[in-house]
Amino acid sequence: MRRQIPVILCFGFGAFMLAQFFVPSRLSIEAYEMVVDWTQTIYVFALLVGVAGMIKYHSEKISGKKAGYFYNLVTLIAVIVMAASGFIWGRGESSPFDWFFTYMQAPMQATVFSLLSFFVASAAYRGFRARNFEAVLLLLAAALVMIGRVPIGDYIWSGFPKIANWILDVPSMTARRGIFIGIGLGTIATALRVILGVERTYLGKG
Amino acid sequence: MISLRSLGNIDRKIIFAALFLSVSIPLIFDFRLPNRITKEVRAVYDFIDRLPPESAVLVSFDHDTATLPEMSPMARALLRHLFNRRLRVIGLALRAEGSSIGNGLVHAVAAEYNLQEGMDYVFLGFRPEITSAILGMGENIARVFPKDFRGVPLDEIPLMQTVKNYRQIELIISIADDDTPNYWINYANARYHEAVVPAVTAVMATTYYPFLQEKQIIGMVPGLKAAAEYEQLIGRPGDASVGMSAQSIAHLLILLLILIGNLSYLSARRRR
Repeated sequence: MRRQIPVILCFGFGAFMLAQFFVPSRLSIEAYEMVVDWTQTIYVFALLVGVAGMIKYHSEKISGKKAGYFYNLVTLIAVIVMAASGFIWGRGESSPFDWFFTYMQAPMQATVFSLLSFFVASAAYRGFRARNFEAVLLLLAAALVMIGRVPIGDYIWSGFPKIANWILDVPSMTARRGIFIGIGLGTIATALRVILGVERTYLGKG
Repeated sequence: MISLRSLGNIDRKIIFAALFLSVSIPLIFDFRLPNRITKEVRAVYDFIDRLPPESAVLVSFDHDTATLPEMSPMARALLRHLFNRRLRVIGLALRAEGSSIGNGLVHAVAAEYNLQEGMDYVFLGFRPEITSAILGMGENIARVFPKDFRGVPLDEIPLMQTVKNYRQIELIISIADDDTPNYWINYANARYHEAVVPAVTAVMATTYYPFLQEKQIIGMVPGLKAAAEYEQLIGRPGDASVGMSAQSIAHLLILLLILIGNLSYLSARRRR
């Protein structure tokens, strides 16, 4: 029963949502609104499970004094301070939560992300080599898009932006469309497998 | 004399220093280059410019703080255009961090135009589960967001008394650094025929070109370059215009490094 009930529920709700799309009656819209509300509520509980799991994971590392447990401690303190400041003083402008967010979280995250450009530059220099015909094509396309998508490219030669746009509009878009069609067909196939109970990995091993 | 082979072994610290200088010098000296306006950015500008005053526009902040330097100039430029046109802005976030980012930005830009919260604009806050939030708002916004970010019930907010669902909203702009605009296109556009504009990071841009060609989106604001173009269109050059000059020099440097690396590689291969 532990596996059958979720499969029955999944089939019922999946089939209902599929059929509802084609039945625009008042009753079906009301039922649809209710399901949408439920999804939001369930998602919030899933978030809570995530937070609880994260706290448990870091607490265990700290209590066991495992390697690098100081960072686990920093993470836990950050979670508690941010949550407490939001609950006590609210999230409005000039609140402690807003201050922590604007002057700590935002610059730290932006800094870490900015470091990526340094590694990209170094990796491009070391790894972007014209080893074969395919690599030459990739190299040329990347170089032309890089120069054509910045103002200095237009300044050097007005043809660069046109070539860059052509690469984005034609070869890149063709590949994208192929990927999108593949994703679409894969999504439909997976959804049908889940609704019909063929795909049950979401139930876990139990 | 420096040989081609030795150029293939430049210390990474030198590369890091060169990139740092190539980005920081244009920023320090406020070096700017004119931007050619692309058709996808022009289409967004023209669409907003044609909307009647008082029209409602939904702006969703679907990004986190990591991409703030790229996203915030485009958000600011778009909001300035919307507020300057006296359009009513409904801000929200489908990413948790977007709520604080969006709330701060909407208030800051609205203050430039002396606009009143609740009358001219409103910020609803964050809702999880993208699909159900987008679908839910298509039927009834107040069911998804019963209160705004400050905790005021939606039926007490004058702006929201005339805006109940997508039928009263002329345009949806998703400022995102991930695939959230896909959800807006798949659900708000495909199901509710809502006009959608993705304002995304440059690396996400190629994802949305097929939608642009199929006219499922009005236009697009991709990356800092598009933000600089938008600043130019509204006549208020800002962070994006300066940032694009830094990006120009950084791109040239990376291309130069790739060229040096390949010359060195080909020289070594010929010798072998």
